[in-house]
Parts: sequence; structure tokens; C-alpha cells
Amino acid sequence: MYYVAQILIVVILFSIQTTWLKTFSIGGVVPDLALIWVVYCGVHCSRAMGIGSGIVTGMLQDSLSGGLLGVNTLSKSFIGFFFSALKDKFFVEGVIPIAFFLILSSLFDGLVFYFSMNTVLEGEVAPSFFYQSLPAYSIYNGVIGPVIFLVLNKINSWLKSKTGNPHMTRAN
Amino acid sequence: MSLNAKQEKEISFLDSFAGLILSPFQNLFTQTVQGISDGINHYFDLVDVSKENERLHLEVERLVNEKNDLIERISRQKRLAGLMAYQDDRKKKSLVASVIGRDATQWSKVVFIDKGTRDGVETHFAVVTNSGVIGQIIHAGPTTSKVLLTIDSRSAVDSIFQESRVSGVVVGTGEEHCIVKFVPNTADIKVGDRVLSSGLGGVFPKGLIVGTVSQVVKKKQGLFQEILLTPSSDLSRLEEVLVFLS
Repeated sequence: MYYVAQILIVVILFSIQTTWLKTFSIGGVVPDLALIWVVYCGVHCSRAMGIGSGIVTGMLQDSLSGGLLGVNTLSKSFIGFFFSALKDKFFVEGVIPIAFFLILSSLFDGLVFYFSMNTVLEGEVAPSFFYQSLPAYSIYNGVIGPVIFLVLNKINSWLKSKTGNPHMTRAN
Repeated sequence: MSLNAKQEKEISFLDSFAGLILSPFQNLFTQTVQGISDGINHYFDLVDVSKENERLHLEVERLVNEKNDLIERISRQKRLAGLMAYQDDRKKKSLVASVIGRDATQWSKVVFIDKGTRDGVETHFAVVTNSGVIGQIIHAGPTTSKVLLTIDSRSAVDSIFQESRVSGVVVGTGEEHCIVKFVPNTADIKVGDRVLSSGLGGVFPKGLIVGTVSQVVKKKQGLFQEILLTPSSDLSRLEEVLVFLS
């Protein structure tokens, strides 16, 4: 039941991301729901679940982006691993810490893309990437992230009360 | 005669006096009764009006939805007519497809269409609109396909300038515009020049509009110009596209 619900959440997030999220685009920038989900799992779930969600979500994102040669798998796995391994070392509760760590994760995600594109994929990235797209993307994720965290907290609290799943490490 | 006149005078006085005393009460009673009667009538009328209002609201809602639906159909018909006219002009076997989804990340520029291998779509088929090139199929599933847009960082289209016939390569930047690479500094390129597909590369037929030059920077040092290109179609608002089936 718990895992089915988690899969359902991922499916819903990806459906929103690939369809009407463009409606909320600001200057061509949209938030990355997959990234927010991975950070959420890294912070709130067990280590295995955090890393697993990073790998699975990244792979799904790669397959839906025209095969970016695992760029998203790499960045999301690392982000999932980072938060799963170090969540006890820092405090990711409240709007400002969540926004701060989401901005950091977004910057990392963008940099992984940039370096992959400039090295392995030999693609062209606009010069405005560093002063326009990447900051806007990071801030957008940081602003929208705490709201999504709140919604996911409510869903997972309800799921926990129904299933009592041990993979949730923090009571919300 | 005199008696009658006296009686009439007395009656008239009594009448006037009685009328003077009674009329305020008469008015009061009449108005009260009328008011109550009107109130009751209006109450029942209001119940009817309220029901009617509710019914009319539903009717208006239905008509607004119907109108929106019709506007949407007309607009779709117009877009399809444009695509069909373009299809007839090109005299090339093609297929109209609807865009059903977009990229899952900020960094890639991909759309999903509702036609796949069952409809004859294959990898590396050109995808266009009546405004020009939008991209190529990079993966064809049985019922859906992925289209790599020309603005994606991994996209490259061999092109020529319509006026000067100078060749270059249109490369996506991951933003809303492309750049044209490998255009020599000596070439005469102006803002507003059209860029067409050259037909080389085997994906896009020759002569399709790729975009319009929006900025030209000629460096004193270096071999090539820096040319910014605005794609021919608004790639953020794609709804129906044409897939060339060869």
C-alpha cells in the first residue's frame, strides 16, 4: 500500500510536470517537481528509500527528456544520497531551510547538466544560463518547494497513520 | 329649493369632515393591506424568480461552456486548415499529430506527440508546422513519439540564409532562441534575414523555414559571426504539428 502510494505520487508529479506545469512558466522557467520530490524523500525517508527515489526519479526524467545520457540520474541520485546520508547533520525543517537546500540542490542539478553538456554531450548552452536560467530555476524551486513539502507531509502523515510504514523516519 | 340647498351644504360638510378624519386611516389600512398583499405576492414571485435565476445561471454556464468548446473547435479547425494547406503545398506524405506532453526537465526541450510507429512514424522524421521547422523525432514508440525541438541544446540543423545563400548550422541553446554557427565574418548577414533548411543531413527537406535572424555580432577577431536566431514557430505554444513520413 505504502509503495503503491509512493509510485502514484511520482506518476502524478511527472504527469503535472509534463503537461500543465508550463502554464506556471515564468520567462520559460518551470519548477522541477522531481527534484523537490527527491529532496523530500532524502530528508523524510529512510536512506534506502532516499537513494532509491533519486535513482528511479532521475532515470524516469532521463527517459522523458530524450535520453540525456543519464544526466538526471546522476544528479538526482547524488542529491538523494546527500540528503539521506547527511540529514542528521543539519536541520531541514521550516520554510527557510527547505528553500535554502532546494536552491542548493537546483544549482547542483543545473551545474551537472552544464558540465555534461559541455563535455560528454558537446551541446550548446546559452551564455545566459548562469545569470538567467539557473538562478531563476533555483529560486523558483526554492519558492514552490516548501508548499510541495507541506502537501507531501500531509499525504505521508496520512499514509503513515494508515500503514505505519517504517520507511518514514520523521514524524510530521 | 332653499331646503335642498341647506341639506346639500350640511351633507357636503359632513362628508368632508368624515373624509378628513377617516382618510388617513383609510390610507393606512389600504396601504397596509396592499403592502401585505404585495409582500405575499412578491414573496411567491421571488421564490419563482430565485428558481428561475438558478435555472438561468445553469443555462448561462452551459452556454459559456458550449461557446468555449465552439471557439476551441474553430481555432483547432483553423490551425488544422493551415497545416493541411501547408501539407498540400509541400506535396510530401505527412501526418498531423497533437502535442500531448512536454519535457520533464527545465534543461531539455522535447515534446510528446500522439502518433507512433503504428501510424508510420519513425526516428529522424522531420516535424514541422505551417510556420516552419520545429524539430525531429528522436524516439518513436508504438502510439507516441518524442520530438527534439530545434531550441534543445542537442539539436543541430544544417541551414542556408535565404538572401545570401551562405550556409551555417542552427544550434539550440536550451533557451527560447537558437544560434547559427560557422558563418564566416565576411558574409553579409542582416537582422531579419530568413534561415532555411539546406536539405543536407537527411532529416529536413530543403527550403523549410528554420527561423529569422534577430541579432548579428561581428567580432574583429575570430573567423565566424555570432548570430542569434528566433525560431519560425512559437515552440512554447505548440498544439498540432505535421510529421513528414519519409
